[in-house]
Amino acid sequence: MAENRESGIAVGRGERAEAPAKSAVRPLLPPVDVYENDDGIVLSADMPGVTKEGLEVVVDKNVLTIKGSMADIIPHDIKPLYAEFGAREYERAFTLGPDVDAHRIEASMSAGVLKLFIPKSEDVRPRKIEVKAG
Amino acid sequence: MMSPWLEIIDPLWRDFDRLKQEIERVYEFGSPVGNIRGVVKGAFPPVNVGETTDSVMVYFFVPGIEPSKIDLTLERNQLTIAGERDTLPDAGEGATPNGYYRRERFCGKFRRVISLPESVDPGKVEARYTNGILVLTIGKKEDEKSRKIEVSVS
Repeated sequence: MAENRESGIAVGRGERAEAPAKSAVRPLLPPVDVYENDDGIVLSADMPGVTKEGLEVVVDKNVLTIKGSMADIIPHDIKPLYAEFGAREYERAFTLGPDVDAHRIEASMSAGVLKLFIPKSEDVRPRKIEVKAG
Repeated sequence: MMSPWLEIIDPLWRDFDRLKQEIERVYEFGSPVGNIRGVVKGAFPPVNVGETTDSVMVYFFVPGIEPSKIDLTLERNQLTIAGERDTLPDAGEGATPNGYYRRERFCGKFRRVISLPESVDPGKVEARYTNGILVLTIGKKEDEKSRKIEVSVS
């Protein structure tokens, strides 16, 4: 029992020792705007340097993940003097409610801004109710 | 691949720095102490400055702005960027400011002044806008370029 526990700790340590290497370059958290209109949700994210090719938008179950990597605008051999952007990758995730249609998400990328349109399911769209005169 | 920009940021503080940035963003606090000319971390647009042997490179992260709406001036080694970004049209036609759940992207007028190394030559500037990044290549003055010195064998 004690041995098991010890080995368990050893594995835990091993994982911990690996973790810093994995997170050496933490992806940037892109700032987003989330807007809702009658048809769906409009999400805009600032991801400067990302092109259509470097972008990945994934929906897994109810989690929407946005990933992007900067195209080679900044050469790797440059000597940095001052930096506010310390990474070339972006990543951010959001949970989606059951009221949106994840199969019909539209994405576009222009001038470093990602725009996503997440339509609402047909049955939750607001409907105008006609009142008939009796 | 390791980004060269990380080399000047101590790895121990990187995570704390990120946490600080995220907390600051949540509460919309800027740093209480800043350079008098406005170089405060978190200001818009973020900037990276680097150098090669014969030029100084400045990268402004200005996504979603028409390049013609950005004003750049270089006076000796003082570089000023000014402009305006309106993010409301990104939310679609007929969007109103109170329909947002989150509004983190910078919206409005901006102006930032940064000091570049003394060696820059204001006469040799080139600016290019690609995928939301404005890249400035500023040549160094001839007499301030670093030179490789050949050692001759006697």
